This record gives sequence, C-alpha cells and structure tokens, in this order.
Amino acid sequence: MIPSSALMQADELLPEGLEIGFKLVPAIMVISMMTLFLAVGFVFKVADTDDMWVAGRSIGNVENGMAIGANWMSAASYLGMAALIALSGVYGLAFVVGWTTGYFVLLIFLAAQMRRFGKYTAPDFVGDRFNSDTARALAAVTTFLIGFVYALGQARGMGLVGMYVLGDINNVIAIPGLSAYQAMMTLFMLITIAYLTLSGMLGATKNMALQYVILIGAFLVGLLATGWVSGYSTILPQIEYGMLISELGNEFSDPFAGGSYYLWIATCFSLVFGTCGLPHVLVRFYTVENERTARWSCTWGLGFIAVLYLSAPAFAAFGTDLYTNSEFGPTYGDPGMSDAAADVIVVLAAQLANLPTWLVGFVAAGGIAAAVATTAGLFIAASSAISHDIYANIINEDATQRQQVLVGRLSIIAIGLLTILFALNPQAPIAALVSFAFALAAIVLFPMFFLGLWWENTNRPGALAGMTSGIIIWFIPMLNEGQFGLINGGAGFGIEFLETWMPAIGSALIGVPLVFAITIFVSYVTDEPPLRTKQMVRQCHSPDPMPKDKTAAQVVAEKNGNAHADD
Amino acid sequence: MTDVEREQETDYLEVEINLLRPATPFMKDHLRVIWIGFGVWVITTFGPITATRIAPDLMTTAMPVIGFPFHYFAIAIGAPGAALLLSVWYAKRRDAIDEKYGIEQVDNEALDAGDSAGEGAAAADGGAAE
Repeated sequence: MIPSSALMQADELLPEGLEIGFKLVPAIMVISMMTLFLAVGFVFKVADTDDMWVAGRSIGNVENGMAIGANWMSAASYLGMAALIALSGVYGLAFVVGWTTGYFVLLIFLAAQMRRFGKYTAPDFVGDRFNSDTARALAAVTTFLIGFVYALGQARGMGLVGMYVLGDINNVIAIPGLSAYQAMMTLFMLITIAYLTLSGMLGATKNMALQYVILIGAFLVGLLATGWVSGYSTILPQIEYGMLISELGNEFSDPFAGGSYYLWIATCFSLVFGTCGLPHVLVRFYTVENERTARWSCTWGLGFIAVLYLSAPAFAAFGTDLYTNSEFGPTYGDPGMSDAAADVIVVLAAQLANLPTWLVGFVAAGGIAAAVATTAGLFIAASSAISHDIYANIINEDATQRQQVLVGRLSIIAIGLLTILFALNPQAPIAALVSFAFALAAIVLFPMFFLGLWWENTNRPGALAGMTSGIIIWFIPMLNEGQFGLINGGAGFGIEFLETWMPAIGSALIGVPLVFAITIFVSYVTDEPPLRTKQMVRQCHSPDPMPKDKTAAQVVAEKNGNAHADD
Repeated sequence: MTDVEREQETDYLEVEINLLRPATPFMKDHLRVIWIGFGVWVITTFGPITATRIAPDLMTTAMPVIGFPFHYFAIAIGAPGAALLLSVWYAKRRDAIDEKYGIEQVDNEALDAGDSAGEGAAAADGGAAE
C-alpha cells in the first residue's frame, strides 16, 4: 500500500540542528519514566471492572482533572503545537485555542449528560441510543480510524525525539533502507505495544494524575531553564516572551502570514468540536462520582491543560530565536527550519540553550512518554471497539472471554503494524496528523452525541445516514490532499478549490453542519424513535441525582416495570 | 405556582427533550446559562482573529509593559483564559440552579458509610441527603 517512493523520501525526516547520538542518561530517563508509570499502575491495580467502579468513586475533581490533562497530553500538545506556532505563527495559535476552548463546549453540552447516560464507550452510547448494531459498528470503525490517525502523529513524534535519545541505528548496525527516523519510530512503536500489554493488564487509571505531574514538570522545567539560561525570561516565561515577539520576524506574529483567516477559523472549529467527539476524552466523564464532579473536574481539567497550552507559545518563541541565532538559522526564508526540526523544537530549544544533557534528556523523555502513554490509550480504545463492539456484539454474540481477549490482542497488533507502516513516511507534521483525527471525531461522532442527547427525536435512520455521510465527507479532503499516500502516489486528487475551502485539517467546518442537516432531515422524514429511547434521553436531563451504578436505560426500565430492558 | 413547585411536579420521563424548546423551569434556567455562556464563548474564541481580520492595524498594536502585539495576546492567552473563566462561571451558576431547586448530588462515599446526614453543604429544602 505504501508507494515505493516513500522510502526514498524518508531521509528528509532529519531534524537539522538536533544532536543525534546515543545518550545514556536520557535513555535511562525514558525507561525509568515508563517503568514508574507501570509500577504505579501495578500498585493501584484493579481486579475487575467492578473494582474499577469503586475506585472511580473516590476520584475527585482535582484528580480527575489531572487525569483529563494526562489523557490529553500527547506528542501533539507536547511537541507538535510549539512546532506549528514556530513555523506558522498566528495560524499555529488556532491549535492553542481549539484544544483548550473546546472543553467549555464539552462542559456545557455533554459532560454531565454523558455521565447520566452511564455507558462506557462511544460505540456503546451510539449503539444504545439509536438501537442499532450498524450504528454501533460505524461508531466502532470510526473509533478505530481515530486511534490510527491520531497514533500516526504520535509515532512521528517518537521517531524524531527518539533520534536525540538513542541516535542513528545505522551507526551501530547498518539496516539497508531504514533511515534513523524509521528505525526509531519502529522501535518505539514496538515498545508501546509491549507497554500496552503490561499496562492493559493493570488497567488502572490512578496513575494518570502522576503522569500529568511528570509530563508537565518536564515541560515547565525545560521552559524555565531555557528562558533563564538564554536571558529571555525569569519566573514567568508564559508572559515574558511577549517582549521577544517583535524580534522574531513577521512570520511569527503577523496575523495571516501562516494561513488565511478562513483556514484559521476552519482549523479552530474542527479542533473544538473534535474535542467534544473524541471517545477517549468523553470516557473520563463516565467514571466520576456524580454530575457535579463531572462538571467541576472538566473545569479543573481545562485548567491543567491550560498550563501546558499557555507555555507552548513561549517555548516556540524561545526556540525560534535560538534557532535563528544558531549556525542553522534563520528560521524563516529559504531554506528555513524544516518540519522535522520544528516538530522537535521543544527539545531543540533546550539543546541550543546549552542546557546540560540530562536536562535536555528530561524534556525529550517527557515527549516520548507523552506519546507512548497516549498511543497506549488510543490503542486500547481502538481494540475494544473491535473486540467488544464489533466482534462480541455483532459477529459472534456467544464469544467467550478468551475469544474476545484474543480478538482484542490481534487488533492491537493490527493497528500497531498499520501505524508503523503508514508512519514510515508521514505526509504531515505531528499536529496536522492529529488534527485529522479531530476532524473525524467532529464530523462523525460529535453530531451523534449532541443530537442524541439534546433532541429526543433523532432516530436510527437519521444516525445511520449522518454517520455514513460523515465518514465519506471526512475522506474526501483527506484523499484530495494525498494523505495516506493512496492516491496518485501520495499527490492526491489535488483539486485546488476543495483544498482551499475544505482543507483536511479543518474539514469539520463544512462537515459538521452537513452531518447535522442530514441527520435532522432524515430523522424528520422517518418514524420517531420508540418511547423507551426517548425516555432514556429524558432521563439524561432530569435534575434528579442518579446513583453511580445506574444507567439511564435501567432507570427507564424500572419505571416501566420491566427490569430486563437493559442492553 | 412557583418554578420550584412546578419543577417538583414534573416527571422527566414525560417531557420532550428539545434543545430549542426547554420544557421545564429547571431546563429553562439551565439552558439560559448555557446559551449565555456559549454566546460569550463564541466571541472570546473567534472574536480576536475576526477583529484582526477587520482592523489589522489596530489589533496588532504593541501592548505597553508586556510587549505583546494585542492580537497575539488576545488569541494565545485571552481565548484559553476566557474559556477557563467561563467554565468556572458555568459550574458555579449550575451549582446555584441546583440549590434553587433543592437538588443534591448523590454522595457515594456517604452512602457506603451508611451515613445519611450527607455533607454539610446548604440544602435548599433543609432536608438530609437521600
């Protein structure tokens, strides 16, 4: 499936300026960070889902807020965002805005209602709300696709930063046809899969608060040290970089130098509503004590996320200036900083500021750990979509536990291999790759969640029509711009009109209203959903408190004197 | 009948859920907060970049003391900060609505301990947590 030219182009993925070579202390740091995550997971290990429930009861606002933050912090936030801000200036800020402000929309429209609905996964919600196995399957396929596209960005981040930590494998054993980036990406993806088999078994969510503290710690220490040593800032780099902006060149701060107004709005819109449709984000609200906790932990989560997002532009500013004044500069113009160098700008800035190797390594290790932990979470969601929602619910309803686990394992290997294959020559920077996943979540899943919860007459045909057209709508700009390298050897259809008005990176601006319209129209012209379904939606909006172990469906069943209507 | 009394007589399994037609006093109150918040959010999120498109010279003026061009500050710090403040505002307003209608959240820990007194938070009806 990969065009033959892909391997040839791959050696372009070499971040200039980054010291590539084996470094012992950073290597130990990466390993110890991941061992620590596993160890804490082991200490708080849970035996079964019931125990996880009980453990969930003790998770309060702040802790769940940190878990939301850790869940969120992937290579895209840690590495990719600063990269886009450095290279694309104000356009890159669309990512800062989209990836933070989306939580407010999630908070007011979805968080508490999702908690009341009481299902664990996105396909479960869609399948139960619309009484349809086909809808469940579509949601599961979407969840799988989101995991895959999202993971492409993480794999790229692992490969690039991995080169700083472990160096070029070809210096040790020459592997023909495998560049330094490809070797590192493959290695760290394999480590991720190994990590997954261990962490999946432990299944604990308790250590996410710890993950947050370590990752944000690495990022902030790196930023403070870089700013301090280079004389840019003292104790508040998040504000102090303002003084530097006028020296960085027009590309950094001119409003529309890096992208048009329309592209900014489209990207931001896509990221906002993708946030509200991402399965692994919504799942954090099912596990809280009550709706009030759902609301306040969402607020805390946004606060914890904002700490990183207010710091990333400062890191980008320092990195841009350091790079321009280094032997590799300037950042802008021809040739300028490459995408690959920008994607590691956080590490590069720390290195160019001449920070000690262990400190640069700490920052790099944080980036890798963020990518590995996020990828593990995505793969679990994707494999449970296949094993639970498609295999056990649809293909083989009598599946034994063992068969389900086997299918789950196989799908993890499948998605892992798929990710490695397509990440050998990623067509876009980290943040762009991840934002494709956001567009998909926004177009296909967000309308189902939103309409499903806020308009009781949304019905099965409406949802099926909406989701099917949503998936098609998402693929059009992706293929047009040659993502996945499937069309014309990676060039895509290249229709310029479409690229301008429906860019893949912000396709939700067109896609979301379309899917809303299709879903509403089809729901109008077909029969209303059954009363039981409507009552389930009503139950999600009742202010009466609900006990944690009940779903909306159970409450409705009890009310109708039918205790067996669940599932 | 007051809002609170009407609300108490409502059986939620009997009322239509439509975002645009809130059917109960509680949902009316709640949706008012939601729409106000959403309106302010649209302005703080998409407003700065739009204003920069309309009046680029004015928006790119450097700010005193901190040196940011104003548009950069409004987008990079203003928008995320506003979303955070709005979230706190919404969560508080929603708590106030809960209090108005005498809604108390289930406290699972209290249930586990068999403690029927609940937490000491102000209950509008003065009753103990169920």
